[in-house]
Amino acid sequence: MNVGVAHSDSNPNHSVYNSKGIWVTYILIIFLSHLFILSVPFFSVAIAWTLTNVLHDVIMFMMLHITKGTPWETPDQGDARTETQWEQIDYGKQFTATKKFLTTVPILLFFLASFYSKYDKVHFILNASVLALSIIPKLPQLHGVRLFGINKY
Amino acid sequence: MAIIPATWDMYDLIQGFLQAPAYHLIFEALLMVLIAKLFFSKSYKPEKIRLSEKEKEVLVKEWKPEPLAPDVPDDHPALQAMEKYCVDGAVGKTVNINGKDCINMATLDFLGFIGNKEIEEEAIKALNKYGVGSCGPRGFYGTMDVHLDLEDRLAQFMQTEEAILYSYGFVTIASAIPAYSKRGDILFADEGIGFAAQKGCVASRSTVKWFRHNDMEHLEELLKEQEVEDKKNPKKAKVTRKFFVIEGIYANYGDICPLPAIMELKRKYKVRIFLEESMSFGVLGATGRGVTEHFGVSIDDVEMVVASLENSMASIGGFCCGTKFIIDHQRLSGMGYCFSASQPPMVAVAASKAMELMQNNPVMLVKLRENCERVHKAIKDIEGVEVRGSPLSPVIHLQLSEPAADRDLDMKTLLMVQDKAISQGVAITPARYLDNEEHLLPQPSIRLSVSSQLSEEEIDKSMDIIKAVFRSVLSGNTAGHGGGGDSAEAHS
Repeated sequence: MNVGVAHSDSNPNHSVYNSKGIWVTYILIIFLSHLFILSVPFFSVAIAWTLTNVLHDVIMFMMLHITKGTPWETPDQGDARTETQWEQIDYGKQFTATKKFLTTVPILLFFLASFYSKYDKVHFILNASVLALSIIPKLPQLHGVRLFGINKY
Repeated sequence: MAIIPATWDMYDLIQGFLQAPAYHLIFEALLMVLIAKLFFSKSYKPEKIRLSEKEKEVLVKEWKPEPLAPDVPDDHPALQAMEKYCVDGAVGKTVNINGKDCINMATLDFLGFIGNKEIEEEAIKALNKYGVGSCGPRGFYGTMDVHLDLEDRLAQFMQTEEAILYSYGFVTIASAIPAYSKRGDILFADEGIGFAAQKGCVASRSTVKWFRHNDMEHLEELLKEQEVEDKKNPKKAKVTRKFFVIEGIYANYGDICPLPAIMELKRKYKVRIFLEESMSFGVLGATGRGVTEHFGVSIDDVEMVVASLENSMASIGGFCCGTKFIIDHQRLSGMGYCFSASQPPMVAVAASKAMELMQNNPVMLVKLRENCERVHKAIKDIEGVEVRGSPLSPVIHLQLSEPAADRDLDMKTLLMVQDKAISQGVAITPARYLDNEEHLLPQPSIRLSVSSQLSEEEIDKSMDIIKAVFRSVLSGNTAGHGGGGDSAEAHS
């Protein structure tokens, strides 16, 4: 949120990811959650990384691609009710810095998880399938598309 | 791989990378391509407009301020009324107009609480204790104990879980509707609803389907149409909220909504109800709880009851009551609640006291009902005048039964009636509307308001005067038309 800054937008979802410090916060949250998972005694490094990746992708999928409208802000009177959070970012423009950043992070996480799981087949299948959740809905070609009418209303 | 010492921590991992299966490396290579593509695609930057000094100057020069207040035409009704009439003192049961006491049948003060000494005393006490203003909005240092007391009292009286106070009657319904109904939702609104509710419908951005005033058949027709629509797309229908917007007693017509019939439709078609009770709160029902009590409908079946405290309670503000989760939603989503300063504490105290007086003395409601019926009975048969409104309603509209094609002409006739009645000691007034902004502009009418304080003699006397005035104006009016002809002749 633009804390301490007055914004005149009735839907702050348009610009929330452009606020100061939000990228760093995002990375920090991933890092700290990873440390937390690593500190669980019976998880090996490989499991910890795969778990981080899976949790990150699933949570971000729910936050960005399932939640629609403006759940915490009402003044827009349901203007964005048909748009997912991702589609609202930067007023729906493609290839903005925020969108590039949000697409790159899960890919890098996948690289790390692959590396630390020693390119194991089972880990690969898990990591690659949740990566699909994070990448496919972000493609510009799928903007506003609801495959098979899922989550349409 | 002799380069990497076998004892190093990363040894295994690096080994894993070097022996990675081909499919994995290909997948990673594809992802690298995707990242590269992302970064080399033309970047869009959210627009930032930077103006040069020159451009700024031009813009500043071009700017012409609009007048703070638009020009008011000389024949504006408010200006004319101000010139013609000067009211002195409180506008209570009687009102002093131009130095003459008149019986007041124009102010919507049904229980005669304006100028009530007990209420005034309490309000002055609160004034001395709290000062005038409340400092801020309710959520921002503006909540005083008296606000909470009044909310509790209202909730208890209305037999609902909770009530929420707004600082102005008009915004109560205008904020409550948009707090729940959003784009894509459907409002089934009566065409006779008041201006505040109309504005609420507009502010909600929902689809509004108007049904003819109190016409249940038309309403059911609309609901059936909607049902057919819903069947075509059940997934969409599942997330579309539907509401009725109705009033207890319609301020613009003076009649009561057929609540039992509406409840039936509500159950059948699964619609929620916004019930505006500004005119019926403190009027209908044995204890003054409004139209739900009048019809014996459980208030739990009506999602939201909204009423102004500016009529029978003779205070300022409004409230909305219902279940806890419905009301609490408004504490963050009711615009009028969030963003406007709360009622001055003395006003809340005055409303509390008025409630107390009404609860302790329900006889005044009986008296009000008797007075309403008496007025209705007396006023029924004036030739050329149609009386709109239920016999139980303290708001009565007197319309011309043969309205002229020109609205202004009727208004002039009614103003003549008003002037004559005031000169004979009864203060009445035509109903005023914002002509261009109403959804459906009601026919011009004299809006009578009945107070419980009026005695039988006073009612009889004022009814006689009103009848006589109407008769003389209407019979004179035909002559007046002739008079118009005369003047035309004079001109020729």
